[in-house]
This record gives sequence, structure tokens and C-alpha cells, in this order.
Amino acid sequence: MNKLTYFPGCSAHGTSEEFDHTLKLVMQTLDVQMEEIPDWNCCGATSAHVMTENLALALPMRNLVLAERLENKTMGIACASCYSRMKGTKKHLDENPELARRINTTVIDEGEYKGTIDIKSMLQYCYEEIGLETIKSKVTKSLSGLKVACYYGCLLTRPKDITLFDSPEYPMSMDLLMEALGAKAMEFDFKTECCGASFSISNTEVVESLSGKILEVAKESGAHLIVVACPLCQSNLDMRQPDIEKHTGRKFDLPVMYFTQLMALAFGYPEKELKLPKHIVSVEAALKHIGEAIPEPEKVKKIKKAVEAESEVE
Amino acid sequence: MITLGLLEKNTFLEAVNKKSGTNVLECYQCGKCVSTCPVSGYMDFPPREIMQMIKLGLKEECYMANSMWFCLTCSACSGRCPREIDVPAVMEAIRHLAIEENYRSENKKVKDIRKFHDIFLDMIKRYGRNYELRMMAEFNIRTRNLFKDMHLAPKALLKGKIPIGHESTKSAKAIQKMYKLAEKLEKDMK
Ligand code: SF4
Ligand code: SF4
Repeated sequence: MNKLTYFPGCSAHGTSEEFDHTLKLVMQTLDVQMEEIPDWNCCGATSAHVMTENLALALPMRNLVLAERLENKTMGIACASCYSRMKGTKKHLDENPELARRINTTVIDEGEYKGTIDIKSMLQYCYEEIGLETIKSKVTKSLSGLKVACYYGCLLTRPKDITLFDSPEYPMSMDLLMEALGAKAMEFDFKTECCGASFSISNTEVVESLSGKILEVAKESGAHLIVVACPLCQSNLDMRQPDIEKHTGRKFDLPVMYFTQLMALAFGYPEKELKLPKHIVSVEAALKHIGEAIPEPEKVKKIKKAVEAESEVE
Repeated sequence: MITLGLLEKNTFLEAVNKKSGTNVLECYQCGKCVSTCPVSGYMDFPPREIMQMIKLGLKEECYMANSMWFCLTCSACSGRCPREIDVPAVMEAIRHLAIEENYRSENKKVKDIRKFHDIFLDMIKRYGRNYELRMMAEFNIRTRNLFKDMHLAPKALLKGKIPIGHESTKSAKAIQKMYKLAEKLEKDMK
């Protein structure tokens, strides 16, 4: 059994409960024991770094210090925003011991910061630590027939010197993970475009414009649904979708699911465990495609024919 | 207006470089950041222009621009910058300097964005964690826009998407102490 220190982030108990819940199920199947950091606090994501320097480091530092007290030294983070803040802070602190010492004076009761924790996003943990082969071996219900567009957003792979994971321009880890479940990952050029993130409440006009473009490209990819690994991306693409449709006059009808929901489904958990009623854009119709045969695209057929013809000539 | 004499020291540039840990002088104005940035169209001055303004010492113009408030820290630009300039760190540096030196833009969007962040930080101070519905409600009250997103609320609430209640965490006390100490630290550093 593997052990993992878990930082759920604030939205796990709010907007992204279905992420948290299915993540726990999936980890159970994969024989990973998750230990939540006791008494964790908000990492300050989206706002602390905007307004202040010290708090932006102190808030994540407290969580890191609390995590260091636990036996296990790998931390998994569900939310991409928390992941970026915590890992960015760690890098900053580790590279500047004097700064770490200074910030540590605001976190005195919790103890000394040592920098011994290795931080991974849950997608990264699945991909790097557990591995696709193991994941594949747990699939009892293949998702074949389901076409998905994997959306990574900004913070899972960028900046690359902080995340140290996958490609900042065209990552493939989630795509490969989906293929391991049997689904078909579509070519999708807007994988790492920003959804408007933290402007969700304060600047909805920007969110609608940016998320609208992502939905449009995802739709064109032929996907039945979008897969995400971040609660902010999920709520921007799902909750704002009806408004975006109203303002652009386009109909997308693209459900937005967490990768862990699809893993849970493929691992044989009943649909009710996915908490599907929480979705604003209904998921049911998309999931009906599971089991369908996907015909080879015309383009591929043509290319194959041409290659055959050529080899005959030779 | 360019007020920088040839021999005048560009203290603004120095301050930005120090805070951001990047050297703005390295920018050779290729504009790659502008075409990459998802919000450059909303900015008073897109990243490339901000870089040049810093080089020219146009401090107040930078402080009063909306650019650094619109930056989403998505790091798309810095990933592609051929000079490896950490553009979001530069944006952040200008923002922090503007706050420290008490510059306030009267632009409605900038005011909204600032208010949102204030509420967010307030919420952490009070509860140690962040509660989305409360934050949305407070934002609407404080921007006098009570009905914004109200059409989303019933459906989101009904679906349990946004819980009404919130837990009080033990961490709240620790965080309040941290805020005090961080404030003191900020003063000591000055
Ligand atoms: S991409 Fe880099 S070098 Fe080019 S204009 Fe932007 S900051 Fe300057
Ligand atoms: S980090 Fe800021 S300036 Fe750079 S592309 Fe993203 S939003 Fe634009």
C-alpha cells in the first residue's frame, strides 16, 4: 500500500466535491492510502499573491510545515491552483533560505520549515507514481466509444521550471490516461489556453470570452465531453456554459468532467458515485456513447489507401 | 511624456527588476508575449509595451494602467519569451509596488478586481478557508450589483454545486496570528 499526504483545497468541500469524492474512490482501488493534512488552511490561491508578498508565501508555508510533520513525504494536491501556489512557494523558499527563515517567523506555532515535501498534482501522481499500466489493469468497464477533449489549463504544466511535469504547450499525460481507460482522446489545440481562472466572479466578461473559445475548439474536435483536472476550470467551463451559449448564440452542450470521475466509472463504480446531478451541463447523453464503435475518420482512411497504393507500385 | 534624462537613474526599472527577479532590459520587443497573452486585448498596455515603459521609467503610467490587474498569471507568455523574461513576475512586481505606493486606479474593472481579492483575503482571515458562495454574495453586495449571477444561484444551489453553510476551522486562529505577524514583517522590511 502506498501512502500519500493529501491537500484537498477549499473547493473540495464546495464546488468540486465530486472531484474529491471520486478521487478518494479511485485511490482506494489503486491501493493508495490518503492522509489529509490535519487543520490545513487556504493556500491563498488567486488572491494572496496578487495583493501581498509575505502572505502569499506564509499561507502555503503553514500547510507545508504541517505536512512535514507527517511520516509520508509526498503530497498530492487536487486543485491546479493550489498545486501551483504550493509548489511555487516551495521552490521560492528552498532557493532563498534567508527568505524562508523570515517567512517562517509568521508561522511560529507550527514549527520550522524544512523543505522535505515533494509536491505532485493528482494527475501527475497518477501518471508518474502509479503508472498507466497499473491504471489499465484496474479497468473493469472500458470507456471505448467515448470521445474526450483533455483540457489541462495553465497551471498543471506551467511554468515548467515549477511544475516539472509534461509539456507546457501540448501535454499528453491526461490524454494517455484517458486512452488507458479505453476512451478516445481527441486532438485539441486549446488544451493549455487559459479559461479566465480567477476572474470567475470579478470579471465574468473575460471568463466568458476565454472559456467560450475553449468550448468552441473542444466542440470542433468532435469530443463528447471535456475532461479537466482543476475545479476552477470545471466551474468556468460548466457553470458559465449556459451564459456563454446565450451570448454567442452557439449551442455547445459539452459536459465537463473531472478525470477522476471517468476513472471511477472505468473502475466499475456505479454512476451514482460520480455525483452527476451536480453538473450544470448534463452528462448522461455523453456517457451513452460508451460502447459505441468509432469509425475510422475519412482522412485516415484516405491516407491508408494512398500508402497502400504506393507500396503496391513499389 | 518621457521625462527620463540620459543621465538620470531609472530607479523604477531597478525596483521592478529587484522585486521580479528578472531583468526587463533583456526584452528586445519582439511582441511574442502580446500574441500569446489571452487578455492582452483588454489591457491598456500589453506586456511588450509595459516592458518598454519600465525601461523608459514611466512609473506612474505603469501604476495607473489596468495591465497588471488583468494579468492572470497564466505564464503562457513567459513560456514563449525568447529572452526568458518572467513576464507575470514583472506584472506582479508593478502591482505590488503600486499598492505599496498607494496608487489606485479609478477604472471600474480594476476596482472590482481589487475588491474581489480583498474579500478573498478577508475570508481566509476570518475562517482559515474560503467559501465560494459567501464570497460571491459579498462581492455582489460590495460592488452594489446584487443580482449579478443570481440566475445561476438557484440552479447551482439546487444541484448542491455551491454549499450554503461553512465549517469553522481550527486554523482560523492560527491564520489571524499569521496575518498580524506578516503585516509586522512587511513594516519591518520597509
Ligand atoms: S516576448 Fe519577451 S522579449 Fe518579446 S516582447 Fe515580450 S517580454 Fe519582450
Ligand atoms: S501571464 Fe499575464 S501577461 Fe502573461 S500571458 Fe498570462 S495573462 Fe498575459
